[in-house]
Amino acid sequence: MPEYNLYAGCSVPANYPNYEASMLRVADSFDMELKYMEGVACCGSPNLRAIDYEGWLKVNARTLAIADKNGNDIVTPCNGCFGSLKDVYYHLKHNEDYVEMVNAELASEGLEFTGDAKPRHFVEALYTDIGIDRIKDSITNPLDGVGIAIHYGCHLLRPKDVTEFRPEILKDLVAVTGAEVVEYPLWKQCCGATVLPVDEPLAIRLARDKLKSMKEAGAQFATVVCPACGNQLDLQQLDLKNTYGEEYNIPILHYPQILGLAMGLSEDEIGLYLNRVPAEPILEHVSK
Amino acid sequence: MAKTEEKTVPPVTLVDPIELSELDRDFREEIHNMPNGEELGACFACSTCTAACPIANSWDYKPHQLIRMILLGMREKVLASDEIWLCLTCFECQERCPQNVRVTDILFDCKNLAAEEGRIPPNVAELGKELVEQGQLYVITADWEREDLGLEPSLPGLQTEGVQNMLKESRTGRLLEEED
Ligand code: SF4
Ligand code: SF4
Repeated sequence: MPEYNLYAGCSVPANYPNYEASMLRVADSFDMELKYMEGVACCGSPNLRAIDYEGWLKVNARTLAIADKNGNDIVTPCNGCFGSLKDVYYHLKHNEDYVEMVNAELASEGLEFTGDAKPRHFVEALYTDIGIDRIKDSITNPLDGVGIAIHYGCHLLRPKDVTEFRPEILKDLVAVTGAEVVEYPLWKQCCGATVLPVDEPLAIRLARDKLKSMKEAGAQFATVVCPACGNQLDLQQLDLKNTYGEEYNIPILHYPQILGLAMGLSEDEIGLYLNRVPAEPILEHVSK
Repeated sequence: MAKTEEKTVPPVTLVDPIELSELDRDFREEIHNMPNGEELGACFACSTCTAACPIANSWDYKPHQLIRMILLGMREKVLASDEIWLCLTCFECQERCPQNVRVTDILFDCKNLAAEEGRIPPNVAELGKELVEQGQLYVITADWEREDLGLEPSLPGLQTEGVQNMLKESRTGRLLEEED
């Protein structure tokens, strides 16, 4: 029974309890023990990195050091947290001076960064540690081949040397549910969430490009593994109605919601009612 | 070949002729010494980064030009540019650079230098202040939503003091002082 340090971040617990709950239920059925980390808060997001590199380094080194106490890997459902933790981990691994600097600071809390506990995205841990075969065996209510587009999110994929994430992981994880993975031209492109505080019209335009590309390729649903991307693609569809007069009607599902359904979880257990663009139509594609 | 239209205006140039005396020779070194600047000097201006960037077509200074401007020492222009803050941090440019220039990371470095001089877009500064004041960007308000899903009403293990204390003493903490 693998045990993990669960770093939930702040956006998932505050804004997407349906993501959190479906992740916990899915993990539980595979005996992945996700234990909430004690004494942690926010990763700061790329915004903190932009204004205060040192502060960002310290805050995330602190989280890594807390996990180092038991040495279990950190898993997170958020690309923002994943990107921050992975990047800081990478830089600490490549720069002795940083390790010295953060450890001098962490000593007052009795903490030390050792690098034993690795930060990982939840879907990567699921794929690697549980394996696609076991996941396949757990599918009781497969989807009927309905087209689902995957939005990976920048900080899951790039920089590749830092994140070490292979796109096939999420493709396999979606396909194993019985859905069809819809390829679309802009699959790699940013959803625009990061630029929201600086230029909202630009952020909306980027969300639009993305949704349009998905729709034109025939996607009926889309899946995300990040609360910021999820928020951007789900919520902005309402704004797009106002600003561009366009309706996309692409329900945005957090990946564990899709897997959960295919594993026989009920719509209430995965909190489908909290998705902004009504996601209930997915139920028609789940075999009984 | 079709006859091209007669040009009536001079070609648009990006910047006025560069005034050598206004260049900051140390800027290049400054970025080079920052966390991700080692490969800066390897840029051969191929503009692959710009071709990869999803929004560069709306920028006055494209990513490859920003890198060039850093190499030339155009400190003021780079640090005052909107572009460094409009960057999506999507890492497309960095991923594609044949010379391993860490373009996105270098733009992060530029933002940090701008921030040190107090040049931060208001909404981003606001986020920084929130981080110092509450230790997180999002605070749980709808605990009933969590309870309905069988989750603890508040986040288990959450403790914000550690993050707040660290940030209080950093550049982010100074954002609050500047306000007083
Ligand atoms: S892709 Fe790399 S080498 Fe080419 S212009 Fe951009 S930074 Fe320079
Ligand atoms: S990281 Fe910034 S500069 Fe690079 S491609 Fe993305 S938006 Fe363009």
